[in-house]
Amino acid sequence: MRLITHNMLQCHVKGCNANNFPLELQEVVLEQEEAELNEDFLRNMLGKLEYEALVATCLKLDINDLPATLPADAAYNDEFLQILHRVILETHIKSGKMICPNCQHIYNVRDGIPNMLLAEHEV
Amino acid sequence: MPQFLIQFAQQHEEFRLPELEALATIENVRMTYNPDAYSLESPFLIVEIESAEKAAQLLNRAILIKTITELWGTGLSWEELIDRVKEHPERWPQYLQVPFKFSVVGFGGTIEMKDKPELIDRFAFTGFMGKIDLKNPEEEFLLIADYGIDPNVKIAHTFYMGRLIGHGKRDLIEKFNVKKRRYIGNTTMDAELSLIMANQALCGPGKLVYDPFVGTGSFLMTCAHFGATTVGSDIDGRQIRGKGKASIQSNSEQYGVKDRVLDALVFDVCHAPWRRVKGGLFDAIVTDPPYGVRAGAKTLGRKDPTKQATGPRMAVEEGVHAHLLPDYVPPTKPYEMSEVVADLLMFAVKNLVRGGRLVYWLPTVTEDYTIDDLPTHPCMELISNCEQAFGQWSRRLITMEKIKDWDGQAVALGPPTGDMNKSTTNPKQQGHFGFRDRYFAFGIVENAKRKKELKEAYHKGGPAAVAAYMKQIEQKKKEEENQQQE
Ligand SMILES: [Zn+2]
Repeated sequence: MRLITHNMLQCHVKGCNANNFPLELQEVVLEQEEAELNEDFLRNMLGKLEYEALVATCLKLDINDLPATLPADAAYNDEFLQILHRVILETHIKSGKMICPNCQHIYNVRDGIPNMLLAEHEV
Repeated sequence: MPQFLIQFAQQHEEFRLPELEALATIENVRMTYNPDAYSLESPFLIVEIESAEKAAQLLNRAILIKTITELWGTGLSWEELIDRVKEHPERWPQYLQVPFKFSVVGFGGTIEMKDKPELIDRFAFTGFMGKIDLKNPEEEFLLIADYGIDPNVKIAHTFYMGRLIGHGKRDLIEKFNVKKRRYIGNTTMDAELSLIMANQALCGPGKLVYDPFVGTGSFLMTCAHFGATTVGSDIDGRQIRGKGKASIQSNSEQYGVKDRVLDALVFDVCHAPWRRVKGGLFDAIVTDPPYGVRAGAKTLGRKDPTKQATGPRMAVEEGVHAHLLPDYVPPTKPYEMSEVVADLLMFAVKNLVRGGRLVYWLPTVTEDYTIDDLPTHPCMELISNCEQAFGQWSRRLITMEKIKDWDGQAVALGPPTGDMNKSTTNPKQQGHFGFRDRYFAFGIVENAKRKKELKEAYHKGGPAAVAAYMKQIEQKKKEEENQQQE
């Protein structure tokens, strides 16, 4: 699972509606895999990302490349887009846990595939 | 405006005009035609487009277009055609010196090989002096005779002459051929329709496209092929993981779209963990909700709601909650088709960007279907509704576009209810209501299932097992008959 996908996910346990994003990453194994730069897509996603949460998540993973705030010229800042690309599209979570900061539900990632299914009593 | 002759494939006829419209939208081509001149029974349509360059753009990713030709004339006979072509000598000079060839094509009939040279000679008045190059001509001129689809008609009724603009991308159907795909499932959508759906969804570079019933990931591949970035989910994690080296991931490698197939996640779209994004997260939703014998749709929960746990359950091993075990699979219940479709529509209303499209298959029982069966929402506009018929049932490819932002107000989904005082005693069933159960009852399906079980029995126990299986079926039949008599 790529970091961009993590940025699009929140806890969805029944009744867990606040402070349920971003899911906290624990015991994660990361893998870097090269991908072709896709500026159109990055531009599309700039307004959809939760940038602050992305930076905070990255810092906990010791990924320190992103500027603390989104540059004003982000959409056409080549250097920034390249970094963003590397972080959100080339960084994969191979395994680990994603924990809801609110209800503590644990979502597991195995073989790069996140299991977001809820338990019987959580739907 | 210049006229162009489109020759469509004689295949998925209902999908041809919607795809053409989608291509025009994607490529930003202004195009006009007379809808009355179009018929599902003819592959030809004359359209007006501002330029040959613009016409060529329609071919970039066309699946149901075979060729587009710049039209130089039409007639009810070769003579009349020649007269029409002669009316525009100003078209010819720029092609006087280029390497060229003429091709003679019959639709629904054949023009014999021996007659072709003479026919081509009759167009010598154009004065082309370039080298005749049959393999790599710079320009190809077409002479087309249309005999129509009735095999008993031996005389062509319409004749066309023009300059070939180019071919569609029907070779992509072979590229995405399911038989050559490393990882497929029971319900994998065929290549041609998967590609058409990507066009209907206006997939293109930069867009984010989502399939909530991703299965083995067909649409992730075709949508990504046209440049979109794709993501999918499925309640069935086994489908996503695949077997050994065959998986969604191996397919995305096979098709060279690995960089644009983001991820496949395991969850139930009824309980989707997507963060709500103001203005919408997805640019398109492309999906084939499961139905049918072996793979009906499922949602989390228990069929009997009184048995559903309200708190964590203990596993057999003491002291551990069952849902925390690594192999925990939550219980699921059948997901009625009408609910699936209504939920899908609401999901699209909430999560699509404005202008984003929802493209999905709706299975219907043919005799019950009416247009009012389609759930509608004030934020979504119906773009097209194409039927693929299978006799007693059919499926419809529905394309909708989100035309305005949702204000968060709950509204009852269409169909329009009309006069509420009328006919409350006999509410009409929707064509897809209870679809799964009724699909089960169809003989064709029953036979296919039986065939498969017979095959399995044979593999397991040879002729003896087959005999036992047949006996079992007869027994069952008898029991059913007895029950009916009682
Ligand atoms: Zn939670």
